[in-house]
Amino acid sequence: MNRGPHVLVIDDEPQILRALRTILVAQHFRVSTASRGEEGLALAAAQPPDVIILDLGLPDLSGIEVCARLRTWSTVPIIVLSVRDSERDKVAALDRGADDYLTKPFGIEELLARIRVALRHASQAQGSRSTTVTAGPLSVDLVARSVTRDGAPVKLTATEFKLLAYLAANAGRVLTHRAILSHVWSDPVADQVEYLRVYMRQLRKKLEADPSQPVYLVTEPGIGYRFLADE
Amino acid sequence: MLSPTTLPDYMLRALLAAALTALTTFGLYLARSVLPTPVIALLFLLPVVISTTLGGLTAGILASIGSFLAFNYFFILPYYSFTVHQTQDLLMLGVFLGLAVLVSQLLGRARLSLAAARARERETTALYELSTALAGLRSEAEVARAVAERLAEAVAAAAVEVELQPGAQAAAKAGAKALAQSVRVPAAAPAGGAPPDFSLGLRTARARLGELRVWREARLTSADERLVRTFASQAALALEHVQLDRAETQARILEESDRLKSALLSSVSHELRTPLATITAAASSLRSGRVELASPAQADLLAAIEEEAARLNQLVGNLLDMSRIEAGVLRPNRQWLSLSEVVGGTLARLRRATASHRVRVHVSDDLPLVPADPVQLDQVFTNLIDNSCKYAPPGSTITVRAWQADDQRLQVTVENEGPAVPPEHLGHIFDKFYRAGPNESVTGTGLGLSICKGIIDAHGGRIWVDNLPGGFAFIISLPLSWAGERPPRLPPDPEAT
Repeated sequence: MNRGPHVLVIDDEPQILRALRTILVAQHFRVSTASRGEEGLALAAAQPPDVIILDLGLPDLSGIEVCARLRTWSTVPIIVLSVRDSERDKVAALDRGADDYLTKPFGIEELLARIRVALRHASQAQGSRSTTVTAGPLSVDLVARSVTRDGAPVKLTATEFKLLAYLAANAGRVLTHRAILSHVWSDPVADQVEYLRVYMRQLRKKLEADPSQPVYLVTEPGIGYRFLADE
Repeated sequence: MLSPTTLPDYMLRALLAAALTALTTFGLYLARSVLPTPVIALLFLLPVVISTTLGGLTAGILASIGSFLAFNYFFILPYYSFTVHQTQDLLMLGVFLGLAVLVSQLLGRARLSLAAARARERETTALYELSTALAGLRSEAEVARAVAERLAEAVAAAAVEVELQPGAQAAAKAGAKALAQSVRVPAAAPAGGAPPDFSLGLRTARARLGELRVWREARLTSADERLVRTFASQAALALEHVQLDRAETQARILEESDRLKSALLSSVSHELRTPLATITAAASSLRSGRVELASPAQADLLAAIEEEAARLNQLVGNLLDMSRIEAGVLRPNRQWLSLSEVVGGTLARLRRATASHRVRVHVSDDLPLVPADPVQLDQVFTNLIDNSCKYAPPGSTITVRAWQADDQRLQVTVENEGPAVPPEHLGHIFDKFYRAGPNESVTGTGLGLSICKGIIDAHGGRIWVDNLPGGFAFIISLPLSWAGERPPRLPPDPEAT
């Protein structure tokens, strides 16, 4: 009996369903599949999955709609699948409650990494959170509100720390500009992406070895940022 | 029958003739004691001549008859009666009447022919002006406007309207919604729904193209009407010309896009088949069981499948971008971007593809933010760096630089140490399917650079290329303002310590 985490894949392409089922089962996941939005919602209600992989282009409901409906009663992590050039859809899905996205075509390593991150955040939301996030030479202590790089303390301003802490607490997950802005700056005047860019630039200068080619504070073009921590 | 508008005119002429005759009679009556009768008869020709000159033939005849009667009544014995006793008086009266009528007729005719000459001159001038105005017009609306304006001026009309019938093509395209387009001069409707005073269809031998309508206070004379007809036929010809011209342009565009489509098909089918062949061969040999598990050969085949699939994905992306650019629907979703962030992201993604080259980046963090679509700009850098990797020898250096050229523009270059491109090719390097040189070993659809140009153009920027000593450079100039707005200047950090 397969006791691994339960993944629900909602996608209308039988080839994708077949490939994902094969790969995920080989990785010891329990897999159920749906090819329509309504069917997916019904399945998610009948056998609550641990993570949902949702294609944004479904024949009946839009993936964004599915996200919104799921979020009315479930906090299950949702990873949306989408194609290049649909940044608006991705952002819309993320702002409606999706946790992460993958652009088709994707490598399986990428998919597994996203699933791991999603499962970890889900379990942390229920149980105890780890209070220290490490990424290469960086270590962010969310409780002590301190950051070290190669063991040496890094001095951050209050806003810089708030921004870094939000990214680090969601390590591995993409965070949209809007999500970051509303979380870090409650002030609606600062609802400007350019503001965020300036702070990201400063953070990178203090934390990245080469701020022009960041490794930990990664830009997701047109969508937001992602903090890549050690797994 | 007299129309209401011409009645006062007629009466005016009659009044003029009567007044002149009365005035002359009165003057001569006062001077009758000193003037001999033959002189009076001569002087009575004056009102006839003046009336004819001012009021035309009718007025002249009226004045002739009036003068004849007044002369007879006041100046021929017996006075104050129309009876004539002496034969010589009768003769004089007869000669007077004949002369008066003759003079008025001659004068009237001269006047008419002068008016006709003037009208012809006016007509010629108006037509000349119309043909000048119509020359080189490319759309029906422009033709309609020119015709309406000229005609309103030429016939002093209150309003002129040119209604264009929707062409068969336009009607088919817009379905039932195709409406007749009309141009009116002046634009505001003065007639307020009043029916036009004169209207005429615009026809050519092949079709009815529309209608010409004229509103005017005064009745149109026959000369005016002739002018309107000439304008209508000129307008119809001009409209037909515009339509034929457009049909020809469309045919040319279709031909061109046909040519491009076949170039695309041959390029795409080749570019699709090559990776598909590799993938099929690799996958089938892995399935055959003849490749040792976990051997270098297996790893090679798997890597080939992955790389070729990525190539197919890139090809599909390029085709999509190209079709968007072609259809004019590539609309940048602009944000204020940090160029160093964009370039950094692109290079991070391309780390594997650029592994065989050294990449240097000189893009300062302190450059002003640039208004651009993050995904599209990333695509531009991806294509330029990809192109550099293809053409520049392995181990050479690719350099990305950016600086602020002036107050309005940011300049970015992607330089490589690839071979120089012959000057005659430089201008074509961004053309679709253009491949500089016979470099068969380099793969690609020849779309990457034209996509870059399409994207940069959509951003209001410019992209060009140049040979460098020992290399080659792509140069991009990007505007710094967006809808009149300047890059936001932000405080470095209000809380900076």
